[in-house]
Formats: sequence, C-alpha cells, structure tokens
Amino acid sequence: MTDPISTAAQRIAAAGLSPARIARDPVNRPAIRDWLTAIGDDNPVYERDGVAPPAMVQVWTMRGLRPKPENDPLSEMSAVLDEAGYTSVVATDCGQTYQRYLRVGETVAVRTRLTEVTGPKRTALGEGRFFTTESVWEVGGEPVADMRFRILKFRPEAVPAAGREAPIRPVISPDTAFFWAGVEAGELRIQRCGECGTLRHPPGPACPRCGAFKPEYAVAAGTGRIHSYVVHRHPPLPGRRSPVVVALVDLDEGVRMVGELRDVRPDEVRIGDRVRVAFADGLPAWRPAVGELPAWELAVTPTVIISTALATRDFQDVHHDRDAAVRRGSKDIFLNILTTTGLVQRYVTDRLGPEVVLGGISLRLGGPCYAYDTLTFTGREHAGQVDVTGRTAAGEHVTATVRLAS
Amino acid sequence: MIARTAAIAGIGATEFSKDSGRSELRLAAEAVRAALDDAGLRPSDVDGLVTFTMDDNAEIAVAREIGAGELTFLSRIGYGGGAACAVVQQAVMAVATGVASTVVCYRALNERSGRRFGQATLPPGLDASWHYPMGLATPAAMVAMVARRYMHDYGATTDDFGRVTVAARRYAATNPAAWFYRRPITLDDHRASRWIAEPLRLLDCCQESDGAVALVVTSASRARDLRQPPALISAAAQGSGADQFVMTSYYRDELAALPEMGVVARQLWGQSGFTPGDVRTAVLYDHFTPYVLMQLEELGFCGRGEARHLIGSAECPPINPNGGQLGEAYIHGMNGIAEGVRQVRGSAANQVPGDGPVLVTAGTGVPTSGLILSTA
Repeated sequence: MTDPISTAAQRIAAAGLSPARIARDPVNRPAIRDWLTAIGDDNPVYERDGVAPPAMVQVWTMRGLRPKPENDPLSEMSAVLDEAGYTSVVATDCGQTYQRYLRVGETVAVRTRLTEVTGPKRTALGEGRFFTTESVWEVGGEPVADMRFRILKFRPEAVPAAGREAPIRPVISPDTAFFWAGVEAGELRIQRCGECGTLRHPPGPACPRCGAFKPEYAVAAGTGRIHSYVVHRHPPLPGRRSPVVVALVDLDEGVRMVGELRDVRPDEVRIGDRVRVAFADGLPAWRPAVGELPAWELAVTPTVIISTALATRDFQDVHHDRDAAVRRGSKDIFLNILTTTGLVQRYVTDRLGPEVVLGGISLRLGGPCYAYDTLTFTGREHAGQVDVTGRTAAGEHVTATVRLAS
Repeated sequence: MIARTAAIAGIGATEFSKDSGRSELRLAAEAVRAALDDAGLRPSDVDGLVTFTMDDNAEIAVAREIGAGELTFLSRIGYGGGAACAVVQQAVMAVATGVASTVVCYRALNERSGRRFGQATLPPGLDASWHYPMGLATPAAMVAMVARRYMHDYGATTDDFGRVTVAARRYAATNPAAWFYRRPITLDDHRASRWIAEPLRLLDCCQESDGAVALVVTSASRARDLRQPPALISAAAQGSGADQFVMTSYYRDELAALPEMGVVARQLWGQSGFTPGDVRTAVLYDHFTPYVLMQLEELGFCGRGEARHLIGSAECPPINPNGGQLGEAYIHGMNGIAEGVRQVRGSAANQVPGDGPVLVTAGTGVPTSGLILSTA
C-alpha cells in the first residue's frame, strides 16, 4: 500500500535544501518599530543598537499578502496536503536559534527543507498530518539563525472531538464552602479547630482530635513541598488537555493538599521540590517556587491580533478576518505563531532586563489564543534558560523555553 | 464465631468477555444458576442474597429471575472492589447467626461494553471534590500518586511493577477461561506499553471485562453433604484504616502503605490460626500492579518495601494462578474468590500442589476485605 502523501513527502524531502530565497526588504527600522508597537515591547536596545528583535527573524522572509508562486518545500507539501483534503493549518512547534541579532540594513535569505511528514493522526481539531521543516537564514552566506517548524494540516471538523466538555467542578457543602470562598478571594484556607487549633485538610464538620464542632480556618502561606505527583495522560479529562501533572503537596503548615502542578515539564518534577500556590479556574494549583518571574497579563483584543499579524507580515485570513476564521472551524480570529514567539521574547526581556541577549526560543503551541481571551504569561528562570507558559482560560496556549546567550 | 463455620459450596460464572451482548441482570442470573447447579442446590434453597453497592442488579430482581422464593437476608457492601471478600463475610455471618441457610453472593457487570470505571467522571460525594477537579480523576491516576511515593521511599522501579503483569499473563496463558489465554507478554512488552498515569503504564492496569461470578455460602456441615468438596472459610475479614478515603487516602503520615489491608490481615491470621508461611497460593486483588507488591507487605509476607525482592523468589507463594484481573478478567475481585475455591478443590487450570490454605483479597486503596479458604 503506497500512500501518495508519503511518496510526495519522500520526494520533496529528498530534494534537500531549497535555493536561497531573498527577503523582499532589508532589515529596516519602520518594520521593527511597527513590530515593537504591535507586540507592545518597549525595550530600547533595538533602536539604540540598530538591531532587530531576534523573534522577528521569520518576519523578514514572509511572503506578503499575494505571494508569487514558488516551489519551496513548504508550499509544495502544503499543496499536496490541500489536494488530499487537509485544507486547514495550524502551527504547533517552533524552535529558533539565533547565532546573532540582525542589523538594520542587512538583507537576509532563507533556505528551507522538508524533514518529516507524519500521520494521519486524530487531533482535537480533526484528522491531520504533521509536517516539519528546517529553515536557515543567512546574510551573505553567513548563517544568522535557524528554525525547526512543525505545522498541522487538518480536515476541519464541525464539532471538535475532545477537550470541549465542561471541566469537573467541585461539589461544595456548608462544611467546605469556606475553602472555595478562599479560592475566589485568592487565599489558600486550611480548616482550624476553633477549640484545639488543630489544622486539617480535607475539612469536615467536626475536629477528629478534640471532637469540637467549631470549625474555623487559617490562611496558609501557600508554600510547600511535593510529596508525590502523577502525570495523567489517558484517558482525556473533561475540558482539559493531557498531560496534566497533579501534585500532592506537604504545605508548610503541616497538611497535605492535591492540586495541578502547572508550568513544569513532566520530566523535571521531583519529589521534595518547593512549590507555591496559584489560583486558576476556581481551583487551587501549584507552580514551582524556584526562579519564578512575575506574571504578565495581556488582554488580547482584535486589534492586538490583527496589528501583530500585519506587523509580522502574516496575511493568513484566520488572523484578521473573523468570518473566514469561523468558516475554518475556529470560534474567532486567533494569534499567529510569529506573534506568540514575539510575546514570549517580550515577556522575558521585560522581566530580565533590556540587555539580556537571547540565544533561541523553542515553543510548542497548545490551544489557540482567540480575540477577547486574556493571555497570562508566567515564567521560571533556571540554568541559563527561562521556561515560559502562556495560558488562556481554556488552558495552555504556549509552553516555551527561551535560551539565554552566554 | 467465623472460622470454619461456613463454606463455599458452589461457584458459577459466565464467560469473560469485552462485550457480553446481554443485560447485567441476565449475567447475574446465569452465574447464580450456575453456582447453584455446581453446589447441587435449587433456587428454592436460596434464602439470602448479597452483592456490592456498585452492582446494578437488586437482590429481589435476581431472586425473581432465578425463581427463588422468600428471602430472609439481603445485604450490600460498598467501596467498589473492596467489597469482594466482604460479601462472603456477610454471608458467613448470616449463616453463623442462623439468619439464613443458603446465601448467594454475586457480582455482574458489563464494565467494558457498558459503564467503564477508568473514565474521568465525578462520583457523588464531597471527598471527590479535593481530587477530581484538580485532574486526579481516574483510578489509575489515584494509584499512581501512591506508586510514585512507593518508588521514592523504597527504590522500586516500573520494572518491578511490570514483573507482576508478566507473571499474571504467564498464568492466564494456560487458563482457558482467561481473556488473555495463550497470550503471554514479556517485560519488554510492558516497557513498551503507553503511559496512562505516570508511573503507571497501560500494562500496569487490569483489563476491563464483561461477566458475572456467583458463590454459594452455606454452613460447613451442610456443605460436606453437597456435590462439591467444600472450601471452608477459615477466616473472613473487612477493614478500613484511620483517615480512610476511597482511592485517595493521601493524608496519612505514610502515603506508600495500605493500612486497611493490615487491618484485614491481622483478623485473617487471628481467626484462622494460619500464618503467611502456611499459604499455598494467594489470589491478590490486582487492579493495579503496585498494590500487589504493597499487599504482600501488609499481609506479612515480607517487610515494608521488600516485596520487589520477594516476588519470584522461592519464599513467595504463587500469586494469582488464574492470571488475576490482569490476565483472567476484571469481575471486581469475585473471579479471584472462585479461583480460591478451585485451588482448594484441586480443580484449577493452574493447580498449585499442596493442601495449605488459600488467601484471597479484595480491592485495595479502599475499605477492603479478605478470606482464607481451606480444606480443613
């Protein structure tokens, strides 16, 4: 059985790196200023030093609203998949490495090759094929940046299969209402016996130690250590995306409590690690308490989505035309991956200071960030890198690792 | 009062499948009829029926279907698979007190083709609110939390869990009633199976099954006059630990332990007068592999954290010679009791030689129960 898509993929991959395609414009200040404005990045170093923000690298070689037909590997493979009915596209992963920042006046060229096509695979969006390309940007033959880029081409489905059920909500009784009121108020509350002072979680109407029916509560510091944890992968949890890391935490006050552990990679969790409480979606959750960066909330208005799409020279209709986005199975226009990359860069330079130099950004997209979402970035600095997570109310929009240049 | 006053005189079961194509009530009635036939008793002899609170077949419905007449004892036990041996204990107590003379314990479920327990749906009750909304919403994930700590505290590895499955599948391969008959696996198969809830893989989780099992309990003296050699109930115990929750007893000092099984173990050895060294074979509830290891420790076969060294050694009694729920079928532990009876009778597919007692346990991580069955 030969699959025409695999056959085409092998042919295109075997052709190797495409000829260099030269950017339409040299690296220039107006485009940089538009990009910085749209992203909302006030970092003065780009203007001062005459360099482009590193996350802009892909912008220079975007092909505009009416691209000339070209047979580079990305277009060729896309055409094959369009033909096969995989007409919608969403970027899923992007790993960029910056050898140096581009300077105003330089003209870059890009060469791309297809590395892999996988699938068909069932996804939350519909059946699709993932394909991966590698790009190298050069200035006069000198490599300045490279990128591994993975996108999903899929057949849009009227009703996406998974992840749209309502999440499981807690049942609340008169004995437990104080806890959930605390979550709403941003406090982690532990039941404390009004008679003997014993702390207890989960709470109940009586004190198992002295027998008093006099429950009160204390407000916990919100810090503790991981006693044990689980990485849930199967089956899908209603309204959530797997994997979900759940940790049982020894609070510093001496009681244990279960919550989702966010903003970590499953393979880096260790029993004994310090965590701090975070409140999200009406639930207590945990976040690693090492190297935390202050959070940043961005109200993602249609203006943000459209102005950043244009400033990144991305004219895909789903990023500026609501009707088109809805027709393609989305609920609204949504951020493009170049912007998400830019926002991650901005978050890190805002938090670590304007002089910090980035060596690369690797990011993985989760769910889309739609118009009217609030996108909250959190981050953690450790071992020369910053782990960044951007969340909307629906869950993770992006997880990224930003490498700092040494 | 309990030891050796009653016996299991008959066992019955349907086939074990993934899609029975029949109602749960029909499965229950078929298994009960088979158990009565096995004992050489008639439906009209039945005056007591006991099942799990999770069973959807009312005692009176089963009584109607088998054509039983009046009942004097109707009872149910909660906490999922933890009920398995406790329903037998209910029957023993009814027989010992004279409340009933012939009690049938049954469990029928279309767990694979009907409502599957491994899916993430909120059960009733407040306790679940501290776990399910946070993403800890399946039995596998709830066990994984304990398993992770067990590995941390005692150095156990996922391979140690895998060896439990490999052994179960080896037995199932030679048990014609087992779903995985003639389908053994290797440790590499276990290592290659996908993560369900780390550190548990798919092959650490028991299968899902459709089927039913029934057991006839009557007095020891009457059982001696019936068709089959009696499996004497030398001990029958139920237990819950301090600060007990259903699958999420996470708030005790020691997480990597099953103290509720310790409560059961003390009673089993006390009632029967046996010790772990006497046990010929043990049918240990194996919904998830780590709890097989931890049960061996709670039951006194070895010290805390040492089960991974005991498994496969000469000191370890054969475990789950029917293939367990990993290999035979998941009938909420009731098929394990039937296997215990066959081992006592000497009629098991993988018969363990000797005349020592057979230990059977029920679901762990919940209020649980246990039995010791013997020839004398």
